[in-house]
Amino acid sequence: MRALHTAATGMMAQELNVQVISNNIANMRTTGYKRQRAEFQDLLYEHVRRIGTQTSDQGNILPVGVDLGSGVKTVGTPRVMTQGTLLPTGKDFDVAIRGEGFFKIQLPDGTFAYTRDGSFEMDAQGRIVTAQGNVVQPGITLPPNASSISINQQGQVSVVVPGSTTPTILGQFSLARFINKAGLQPIGDSLFVETPASGSPQDGMPGTDGMGDLQQGNLEQANVEAVTEISDLIAAQRAYEMNAKVITATDQMLAATSNLMR
Amino acid sequence: MENAALVGLSRQIALARQIDVVANNIANLNTGGFKAAGSLFAEHLGAMAREADVPGAGSRISFVNDRGIWHDLAQGAIQQTGNPLDIAIDGNAFLVVQTPNGERYSRNGALQINASGQLVTSQGMTVMGENGPIVFQPNDRNISVTADGRISVLEGANNKTESFRGKLRLVSFAAAQRLRKEEGSTFSAPAGVQAQPEPTARVVQGAIEKSNVNGVLEMTRMIELTRSYTQVATILQQQGELSRNAIQQLAEVPN
Repeated sequence: MRALHTAATGMMAQELNVQVISNNIANMRTTGYKRQRAEFQDLLYEHVRRIGTQTSDQGNILPVGVDLGSGVKTVGTPRVMTQGTLLPTGKDFDVAIRGEGFFKIQLPDGTFAYTRDGSFEMDAQGRIVTAQGNVVQPGITLPPNASSISINQQGQVSVVVPGSTTPTILGQFSLARFINKAGLQPIGDSLFVETPASGSPQDGMPGTDGMGDLQQGNLEQANVEAVTEISDLIAAQRAYEMNAKVITATDQMLAATSNLMR
Repeated sequence: MENAALVGLSRQIALARQIDVVANNIANLNTGGFKAAGSLFAEHLGAMAREADVPGAGSRISFVNDRGIWHDLAQGAIQQTGNPLDIAIDGNAFLVVQTPNGERYSRNGALQINASGQLVTSQGMTVMGENGPIVFQPNDRNISVTADGRISVLEGANNKTESFRGKLRLVSFAAAQRLRKEEGSTFSAPAGVQAQPEPTARVVQGAIEKSNVNGVLEMTRMIELTRSYTQVATILQQQGELSRNAIQQLAEVPN
C-alpha cells in the first residue's frame, strides 16, 4: 500500500517545517533577520483511470478518473523580506534601513556579502565595520579625534573635528538591491550572497531611486512574529501526528490481511 | 461459494485505494492551494445467483468498483503572511502557469520574482498575465495587487509614478471536476475542457490560501475505512473456515 510511503513524505515535510519554524523562533531577536517559510507542493499523481478515456463507440467519456497522489515535497524555504520594526538604540553606529536595499560588506576573501543588520562598530584603524570586523562598503575611515558622528538619511557620514565648527563629510554608505531578494543565499552571520536567482546587485545611494533611507541610532528587528510562528508550529505538529496515524492505520489494514492466513 | 470472497476482495481493493487518497490528503495538510480528493464508489453488478431455492434467488451479486476521484474545490482558509508577492484567490478561479508541458492551473499563490524579473511560482514556472508574462523592472518597488488582479508598482525617483505591470490571468472552468491533478499543486485541463476568464474572482494580496484538507474529516474517514477493511478481512476469514470445514467434513471417510 502506497499510503505508508505517502504518509512518510508527509512526516518528513512536517519535520522540515518544524525545523524552519524553530530557526525563525531562535532568531526572533536577531537584528535584520528575515523569517523563512517552508513551501510545499504535492508529488506526482498516478493516473489509474484517466479522465476523458472513451468508454464506448458512441463517444462517451469518463467524467472522473482515479488519480492517486504520492505525497508531498518541499519546494523551497523562501524568505519573507518584509520590513522589520525599527528599534531605537541611541548608539551612533547603529543604522537601520527603512525600505529597500542591503548594506554591502567586504568579506576577508575579497568577495561581497549583503546584510540588513546595521549594528556597526569602529575598528582600531577608525574604519566602520560590522560586528565581525568586515568593512562596510565603500569603506569610511573616521579620524581619531572626531566627535559628533552623524549619519543622515542619504547615508552621508559626517563628523566634527577639533578646530572646526562645521561638520566634515567623510563619505556616503551605498546600498545594493536585487530584483529577486528572496533568491539571495544566506551564509550565516546575518549575511547573504548573490546567486543566479537573485540577479546581480544594483548599487545606489540611500534615499534615491527606490532605495530605502538610513536611520541612525536604530536597528531593524527580525520580522518574526511570535503568534504566527507558534500557530504554524501547532499546525505542523498536528499534521505530523496525523501522518503518523495514517501509518498506524495502514499497518492495521496490512495486519488484517496477513492474519487471514493461519 | 467463492462469491463472498470475491465481493470482499473487491471491497478491500477499493478500501486500499481509498486509504492512499486519504494519506495523500493528510500528507498535504499544509500545502498551499492544495485541494482535497475524495473517492467515488460504484456498484458493479455481477452474475445472477443461479440456484433457485436459495433465499434471495434471482438477486444479483454486486461488487464494489472505485469509479473515480473527485476534487473538493472548496475554498481553503486564507492565511495572512504580509508578503507582497503572496496572493490568495477568493472565489473559484485559478492562476494560469506556463510549464514546459503547457498551461497549468494553480491555486498556490506563493509567488516569487526570478532573476529576469518575471513573476514565477515557487517552482520557477512563469505566472501568466492577460498579456503574457508579468515582468518587473530592477528598480520597481511597492508592488501592489488589486482585488481584480491588476499589478502595479512605484517607480522613478520621486516615489510617485505608479506603473502598471500587468493583470493576472484568472480563469475558471465550467466542468472543474474534469480537471486532472498534476504534481506541484497544479491542475491540467483535458481536451474539451476550456478555461474561461473569471471576472468575479477576488485577489487578496499578502495572504496565501491554505490547503482545504479538513484534518478531522480525514481522520474519521481513515478510522472508518480501517474498520471496514478489518471487518471484510474477518468475513474473508470466516469464509475460508467455512470452506475448510466443508472440505474436512465432506471428505471424511467413515471407517
